[in-house]
Amino acid sequence: MGRYVIRRLLQALLTLGIVLFLLHYLMALSVQVRGNPALLFFGGDRTPDPAMLAQVERLYGLDNPCYERTGDPCLAPFVDRLQNFVRGDLGTTLNGNRDVAELLSIYIPNTLRLFAFSVITLVAVSMVLGTWAARHRGRFIDHTVRGTTILADSIPVFLILLTYVYIVAVPLTRWARDIWGTESFMGQVFRPSYNPDYPWTTIIVPGIIVGTVGLATMTRLIRAAQLENLGSDFVRTAKAKGLKPLRITVVHVIRNSMIPIITGIGFLFAFMLSGAVLTEGVMGIPGMGRMIFQAVQRQEGNLVIVGLTVSAFVVVVVSLVVDLLYAALDPRIRYE
Amino acid sequence: MAETMRVIGDTLPGVDRNAPLLEVDSLRVEFQVRGERIPAVRGASFTLEQGRTLAIVGESGSGKSVTSQAIMGILDTPPGHITGGRVLLHGVDILEQDEETRRTVRGNHIAIVFQDALSALNPLWSVGFQIGELFRVHRGASRREAKRRAIELLDLVGIPDAKNRIGHYPHQFSGGMRQRVMIAMALALEPEVLIADEPTTALDVTVQAQIMRLLKRIQAERHMGLILITHDLGVVADVADDVAVMYAGEVVERADIYDTFKRPAHPYTKALLRAIPRVDAVGGELEVIRGLPPNPAALPSGCPFHPRCFAAEDVCADEVPPWIEPAEGHGSRCHFAEEVYTDER
Repeated sequence: MGRYVIRRLLQALLTLGIVLFLLHYLMALSVQVRGNPALLFFGGDRTPDPAMLAQVERLYGLDNPCYERTGDPCLAPFVDRLQNFVRGDLGTTLNGNRDVAELLSIYIPNTLRLFAFSVITLVAVSMVLGTWAARHRGRFIDHTVRGTTILADSIPVFLILLTYVYIVAVPLTRWARDIWGTESFMGQVFRPSYNPDYPWTTIIVPGIIVGTVGLATMTRLIRAAQLENLGSDFVRTAKAKGLKPLRITVVHVIRNSMIPIITGIGFLFAFMLSGAVLTEGVMGIPGMGRMIFQAVQRQEGNLVIVGLTVSAFVVVVVSLVVDLLYAALDPRIRYE
Repeated sequence: MAETMRVIGDTLPGVDRNAPLLEVDSLRVEFQVRGERIPAVRGASFTLEQGRTLAIVGESGSGKSVTSQAIMGILDTPPGHITGGRVLLHGVDILEQDEETRRTVRGNHIAIVFQDALSALNPLWSVGFQIGELFRVHRGASRREAKRRAIELLDLVGIPDAKNRIGHYPHQFSGGMRQRVMIAMALALEPEVLIADEPTTALDVTVQAQIMRLLKRIQAERHMGLILITHDLGVVADVADDVAVMYAGEVVERADIYDTFKRPAHPYTKALLRAIPRVDAVGGELEVIRGLPPNPAALPSGCPFHPRCFAAEDVCADEVPPWIEPAEGHGSRCHFAEEVYTDER
């Protein structure tokens, strides 16, 4: 097991290295094709003094002649960048010269909050609906649950977001404020946009909306897993042993139903990352998704590279955790 | 093991120690399928005495397994419903007890060994946990005590190196060893009645013999009542004391083992015995029972066996046969039981 983890971590390191190189190459291409981002430092539309421009280029590592040659992978700056990252220096932004590490410390917690709410929503809602549907297999409730979750899943997340922000949020907020007051939890929770004074409260609704991504998939996974285990021979054995229904459910059904659920969360994570970009954009949440999106627009090459590497890292870690959870849950799974 | 001695009256009030160990009286089970009630067991009656082995024999779909599940109280409800009859354990009708008492009976007094041990054991828990669970739930034993008892049980059923095997998972055992684990689990709380539902069907022949010997040995040691559900007449001849033959959800013949094999009183039993391949009759055609088991949703009128019966007459299609006893303790549900018994038919 230990050797497996080490091998997986080395693989992860290699994956991250490849991601970094690809991002660097794309960034270099963008500089070579779109032009010098150092101009942005001076506001973009003014023509700066050549000496100052040269200084800024040196500061951001854009002075290498490879940036003049279209298609050059710019290996020397890539090595420089890696060395900086290893030292813990993530660089600064061109706009406003802000420290990237400091920006991450603001943006990452917001995205984590968003993910926490959406994972809770996804797991809680699909657990309840999936269990409910399994208990009433083939009956009205089962069909209703399937129909509703598929409908919720097939509406694009941005449509739900826009509907919420432009149609539902304002009257709901006004109604809640009239009753509970502006500063109360209820007065803030329905706001159509993020409020930095209430970093938890105003992320709940966007989190729930992101959580509907993959609801149908997850519900059906849970339904199938529970049905399989409820009808299984070992549940019959457990009944024959004279165990109470609650113990049968907790000890013999839930643990056996966890594997598909964990698989589901693992691969829905990637979908949720893309859902997060849209949600953070529409709801004005200063999170990683919005940061990367704006960085691309503003030609902040370094910021794009750091942001995407962080999300690649998260995906790699999540998939490793999922694989380790498999082995922890099912003794038949062994990694050698 | 003095500390495990207990009195059945503690967990099941009102028992009569003089009454037969287990008495099943006209048990009826129906399945609700698309609004229709389909009878799976139509009045099964038999008696099991302490220290005896009762074999329940019949084709697939004859209601043997459903009967055992109904006795255990582990029928899937819905679709299955017990619609009549009594199951008396030492004279107490366990079908009328509340769920709490019934749960105590399961494992404590009646235990079951299933056919396919691989699927009957939970793949995610060690065998030690699954055996020890019984002591922990029913006896309030500590984790350590439960483990100690589980090791003793694995020793008892002949699993070598029990101390280390206790932490292993079902998939790490061979088929025969897994069935031994199942048996250890069933024996854990020293039940008075052990139901073995085709315990050897999933095993290869040499292992089958070992498992049957094991069951027989433990039954003798503990003076248990054993219900052996099987379609293998060879196994029946080896181990059973009494035989109940089931056809289309009812017991059609009941007798001791000697009478069943020597002088069957039901044409179905007779046909089954003739269908056993014999090594001393090489070259002859193997006898079979023509036709298929009846569809329980549309049973033939009169005697349900009459369309396949070699001795059938007009009366068989019109009248349900009565229970006839051509000899003391030998009963058969056939109009011509006497003639079949005396070999006139």
